[in-house]
Amino acid sequence: MHTRWNLICIAVSTLTFGVAGAQDNAARSEKEELQMMALEALMASPSERALPALLKLLDGDGSDELKESALFVLGQIEHPEAGKALLGYARDGQGETQLEAIRMLGINGSPETLGALPGIYANGNREVREAVLEAFLIADDTEGVFGIAMNATTADDYEDAVEILGAMGAHAELAKLREAKGISDALIEAYIISDNSTELHKLAMDSSNPGLQAEAIEAIGIVGGDGADAMLAEIYTKSADADIKEAALQGLLIGDYDEVVLRLYRASQDTAEKRELLQTLVIMDSPLAMEVIDAALAGDQ
Amino acid sequence: MNDDNMKEFAALELDKVIAASADMQQRWHDSIDAAAEREAATQYSTHRGFSPMSFFWGAAITAALAIGIGVAVFLADRPRSTETVDYVVQELPGSGLDRQATFSRALQVHLYDTQQSIATIPGNSAEERALLALQIVQQNRLFVQAAERHDADNLARVLRAFEPILLRLAADDIAPADADALRAQLAFEMKIMLTKLGRDSSNESHST
Repeated sequence: MHTRWNLICIAVSTLTFGVAGAQDNAARSEKEELQMMALEALMASPSERALPALLKLLDGDGSDELKESALFVLGQIEHPEAGKALLGYARDGQGETQLEAIRMLGINGSPETLGALPGIYANGNREVREAVLEAFLIADDTEGVFGIAMNATTADDYEDAVEILGAMGAHAELAKLREAKGISDALIEAYIISDNSTELHKLAMDSSNPGLQAEAIEAIGIVGGDGADAMLAEIYTKSADADIKEAALQGLLIGDYDEVVLRLYRASQDTAEKRELLQTLVIMDSPLAMEVIDAALAGDQ
Repeated sequence: MNDDNMKEFAALELDKVIAASADMQQRWHDSIDAAAEREAATQYSTHRGFSPMSFFWGAAITAALAIGIGVAVFLADRPRSTETVDYVVQELPGSGLDRQATFSRALQVHLYDTQQSIATIPGNSAEERALLALQIVQQNRLFVQAAERHDADNLARVLRAFEPILLRLAADDIAPADADALRAQLAFEMKIMLTKLGRDSSNESHST
């Protein structure tokens, strides 16, 4: 029976020297399988012993999968050299290895590694930039994403960063962005993702940009929450703008507020409007639609 | 029947189908899909079974109590943003469990459980794969919250790192080979974390 130390020695030698005779594809696969097992065993070994073996593997000609796994183990090793090595692969690595190293910087989460991310973002292609945003998300570093959004030079980069801020529920950073860059589709989507009904309610009442106002009104239906149905009903009844009314009705439909639609139907004196409201109930597949139809056929309305 | 009402009803012209716009239809489909997934996830989580023959589960039942206690303690003061149906466990009176050790054990069971779940994800059903992946995301978020509450930021970051992979696994347009690669990656990373947590626990118990 192997002791733990024996296993560690085997792991290190397997990673360092490979497996003899592994030449053809099948054997190569077997070799990699053994190397994967060795990587697992390395996690239990002292960092100064594991580090050189991992670096050797990362600089070798193993598959992307093997290198990605090695990077994960490297990321879990508490040794200053491990952090430095990760930074190197994140800056200068190629393809999947670079992307995985960037992810590991997020998992590492130290100020030094996170501080390097904006530079990697600035010099990277789209995949690298996405990986950097994901690393900030993993590290829960809203300031980092905010910085990228503020300095974004293209609409796509700005939208990606704002979306991540939404996923992080970074209400304060989104508010600062709105102040600095103004309202946009991307911000409304971020409010939806972060369930920020407060901001959506404010936007829904802001008529300075009717297009975005309509989007915010629809978004209230998506987010839902306390008061969403009442607000949509209020907007629908009080607005004279056909597009805004339509947005409120779509919000009610999306939010599945069939009782509100029924109330609006009963309150309406306009045939065309009644028709649209009843159609909405039918589209919602609401049982209330049949109630209305039955009542009308019975002469109750 | 009242003629006026009949006229009013006829004036609605219900036989005229008003076509919804494409984006509107897409939103309905998305809403329906999301609702169906939520419904199915709820059903799955409440009917989730296990094999009483498995040795692991003997230990897991005991550990599940620790999860319940642990997560309940860790999340006690936080607003709940996700379902905690699997973790509603009464705290044992006078248990006196060390919070750090309890959290570590709870997390180990979560990772082991998740590993098992990932291994059972069907390769040929995108729907089931998405359902299971989203359920794991939900449970994983609970443990992120617990880790944050316990000042285990390093563990919270690792758990957060699983989520993008799980969400990719849940995507319906992923090729089976890519799904297998993601499953293998998750399984490996969870195994590494289990080894690390086990090693840390062992070191702590030896140092005390």
